[in-house]
Amino acid sequence: MEYILNQLINGICQGSIYALMAIGYSVIVGVVGMVTFTYGEIMMIGAFSSYYIFTGLSNNLPLAILGAFAGSFIIGSIVYKLCYERFFNAPRHISLLCTIGISMLIKNLAQIVFGPDTKPVLNVIDNTTFTLNLFGANLNIRLLQIVVIVLVIVFAVALTLFFNKTKWGVMLRAVSQNKDASYLMGISVKRTALLGNCIGCGFGGIAGILLALYYGSVSATMGASYSTKAFAASVLGGLVDIRFSALGGLCIGIIENMGIIFTSATFRDVFAFAFLILILIIRPQGFVSKKGARV
Amino acid sequence: MMQQAKAFYEKYKVIILIVLAAVLAILPFVIKKTLYIRYLCNIMMYATLAGSLNAINGYSGQFCLGQAGFFAIGAYTGAALAKNFGISFWPLLIVGGLMAMVVGFIVSLPTLRLSGIYLSIVTLGASEIIRIIAQTWEPVTGGSMGIKQIPYPEFFGVDMFKPQNYYYIFLALLILFLFVTNRVLKSRVGRAWMSIREDEIASKSLGVETSRYKSTNFMYGAFWAGVIGVAYAPFVNYIEASQFTTDTGFNVLAMVVLGGQGTLAGPILGSVVVTVLTEALRFLESWRYVIYALLIIFMMWVRPQGLMGASNSMLAGGKIKVKEEKKKGGEAK
Amino acid sequence: MKKRILALTLTFALAASVLAGCGGDDKKEETKAPETQAAGGDETQAAGGDETKAETEAAAPEGGESKGVIKLGGLAPLTGQYAEYGKGFDIGFHKAIDEINAAGGVNGYTFEIDIKDTQSEPVTTSTMATAFAEDDEIMALLGDFSSGACKATAQICDSYGILQLSPTASASDYAAMSKYFFGIMGRQDVEAPFLAKYVLKEYLKAQKIAVIRVDSDWGKSCYDNFIAQAEKEQLDVTVETYATGEKDFSSLITKMQAENPDVLVVMDQGDPVADIFNQADAAGWKIQHVALGPGTSEQVVGRLNDKDNLIVTSPFFFDPDDAELTAWAEWFQGEAGFAPTIHPACAYDCVYLLAEAVKSIDGEVTRENLRDALANLPEYTGVTGSIKFEEDGDIKRNYMICGIEGGEWKVLEGFEFGAAGF
Repeated sequence: MEYILNQLINGICQGSIYALMAIGYSVIVGVVGMVTFTYGEIMMIGAFSSYYIFTGLSNNLPLAILGAFAGSFIIGSIVYKLCYERFFNAPRHISLLCTIGISMLIKNLAQIVFGPDTKPVLNVIDNTTFTLNLFGANLNIRLLQIVVIVLVIVFAVALTLFFNKTKWGVMLRAVSQNKDASYLMGISVKRTALLGNCIGCGFGGIAGILLALYYGSVSATMGASYSTKAFAASVLGGLVDIRFSALGGLCIGIIENMGIIFTSATFRDVFAFAFLILILIIRPQGFVSKKGARV
Repeated sequence: MMQQAKAFYEKYKVIILIVLAAVLAILPFVIKKTLYIRYLCNIMMYATLAGSLNAINGYSGQFCLGQAGFFAIGAYTGAALAKNFGISFWPLLIVGGLMAMVVGFIVSLPTLRLSGIYLSIVTLGASEIIRIIAQTWEPVTGGSMGIKQIPYPEFFGVDMFKPQNYYYIFLALLILFLFVTNRVLKSRVGRAWMSIREDEIASKSLGVETSRYKSTNFMYGAFWAGVIGVAYAPFVNYIEASQFTTDTGFNVLAMVVLGGQGTLAGPILGSVVVTVLTEALRFLESWRYVIYALLIIFMMWVRPQGLMGASNSMLAGGKIKVKEEKKKGGEAK
Repeated sequence: MKKRILALTLTFALAASVLAGCGGDDKKEETKAPETQAAGGDETQAAGGDETKAETEAAAPEGGESKGVIKLGGLAPLTGQYAEYGKGFDIGFHKAIDEINAAGGVNGYTFEIDIKDTQSEPVTTSTMATAFAEDDEIMALLGDFSSGACKATAQICDSYGILQLSPTASASDYAAMSKYFFGIMGRQDVEAPFLAKYVLKEYLKAQKIAVIRVDSDWGKSCYDNFIAQAEKEQLDVTVETYATGEKDFSSLITKMQAENPDVLVVMDQGDPVADIFNQADAAGWKIQHVALGPGTSEQVVGRLNDKDNLIVTSPFFFDPDDAELTAWAEWFQGEAGFAPTIHPACAYDCVYLLAEAVKSIDGEVTRENLRDALANLPEYTGVTGSIKFEEDGDIKRNYMICGIEGGEWKVLEGFEFGAAGF
């Protein structure tokens, strides 16, 4: 029991990182209207930005988060210019291949610029473990896990507020729902889409820094597997809905870690994808109930 | 000029094709370097694989990202049966193809209710699940050790280890694939696929059983991926799960899109371009994939519909033209 | 329409240039050694090699007693997930060659290497191996990094009669696959049992062992060898595997922690070793760490959180008291930008082994007699310790137990500790 609860904590923590990734991903897909395979590399850029801040300046977490957000934001605007802007009304596979190309470009460039070796990110947050006694079971929660979960919640709430309370947020939602109508309402669709893409990427960057903290290392090839996870999580959430995407990410994280109780960690991705396929068979649009998403 | 070329081709179609086949048939005698023959083998293998993906993505408009999975099914079926039971290569081509087809059918079941990107992620996930099973199912797939020293096909005592001879297997498969696919596309089935691609609701209303045809389409693409997988295994002589990652799938997808979806010649051209580029850029060492990626993006900018893109399909980037016209007419978005 | 024509023309130009390239090469090939392509048998290859050597000799008479250049074909993962090791290979090979050439070569021969990027992918490796094998000037293949990629070239090496010396392939069935296969990493059927018997049972006196290993052919054969010995020693072993490229080990660690073992053993080469131990530390799990695979890697130490808690088996280490080795490691660091593992050191030794083999050959060096010379080489002591090929073409290394004190590697028990064997 104790063991299962501890695994659940691992699952929630990893799931909340997935949730943040999925939030960023669904912002991109919602606003731009096209899926991306560059997301893993965006996270890698965020993680490296924070790594250089940690080693070059100080172990200042807020500063590193700002740096990661900025780094991914800038890369996001480049990705937008190269992959999306030109292909808004073109068939989907064209911009998709462009994002695959960019992903390859960033990954290989990063191996040259940052070096091919894995770099450590250690002791940013103290190695403290709290032991909770819950109905006689000892639960171990690490300070790092608490920080990660709190950060994810803070950013998710901040983004929701931004979307609901600011003028830019409303514009972004409008573009996400209907591009032509927002165009007629006088919204500059291209500029809004650029902003949406960059914000989504920025969130990817923050997810990247959380990955770096949680796993204690960064490397140029780290993004690959998370790109598909973010994709899967946001598909679970119906692709464009932020709250449901976050829920999707959380579910995948928990399912993966609970699956390890029964079999080996090699099957981690099998659990994630089997769960996704199962849900899609039952509910073809993911968790979201309403139909009519553009993608 | 293009029109004239096309007219010329239509007129002398048979002769051109025979000449082309003859040239391809004598290439191994002309090119002495085994390395180049190996490249040609790779090109033809990937052309068939890309063609099988194109049969799905290009003709029925479904967006499959998991072709590596079907390819793996074929390769592992062929390799495991040949290695453990000594079954001859030739019937295995069919067995591997059928096996992949069955899996293709299973994958197509949930996808019938799904469309667009939802379908893509299911195929991607299925491909990953297949890879992980191959990685862990030790008694059959050798698990992480893979299957090594896969027996070469036997053909009247000809030494199939030599790429010069193996070349003809790939050539025969490619020609067979093109011939069969060409016939299928011109049949009722092929027309049904294309009608689904252009407008699913319209074709449904005209009485096309879309779900059945979508499923058949998946099975057809999977079948050929399986067949070429069987042929691939002895060629490389050693297979392991890491050869069938999603990156392999993306690579094949790149060939299809670069060459031009929805055309028979497109995937072949794509396979040529990708193989030639990755080999020709070798001198750049670690910059190789940086430049390669830039070239892919560049090609998509210059020619988004692919090198051979059929201009009468919605896949050919027709909407881009519409958009540009809009731009000229009204204010840019 | 214009663009379409342009694009098509470009493609055909590309394709044509390649075919033209083939044609050009063919002619050269034909005038040089027309019979070489026919059979691909050992004798013809050797003859072709002789002819080339003779040509080069004649071409450079002013080089004094210089007999010519021995060209080597390098296979290394310069890009992709193993790029770090590929870079190490690159530097290691070149350093050894530069040194040998600067010292005037061996028997009048100087060395040259052409390294091709394979990403350690079996298909690319076999294509590149074919390219080298077809080039009569190439006398031997060096590489590849992963056992999987190395195994893929068996048929090619056999039929072209060219040797392949891998610095790092350690799967126990690798070298036995072909008489042309050699490896100097040391076989796992020695190191893994050594770990079970000497490190865990005798040195640490542990009873309950938790093993976390990578699910690769390397990891599997490592574990199979380990568990065979562990059963003899009556150790209680729990094992968990993870896929290559895994980053999150927290759930595995929680699972292992619930078993409450005495020692945590990690079997992997490189990065995940440090990640697993760091994540175990972060989970507040106090346990003895043992690793099989990374050896005395400076990189692993550099990335560890709690350095002094790690024990490894190693055939060698960068001894701070050994001036030559330290200089080597420092030089490598300067060149690569990161600290060396055993892998580049093995790459470096490989070149010297070939040089030794060339030294023992009287007269012309051919692919075939280079293989024989390498197989029959007497014991050679390189940077990584003593090397003597077994029947199969791989080596059995001696192992010692190393630990870390104050961030520096230290020998805890020397070679004599495990000398009693199994």
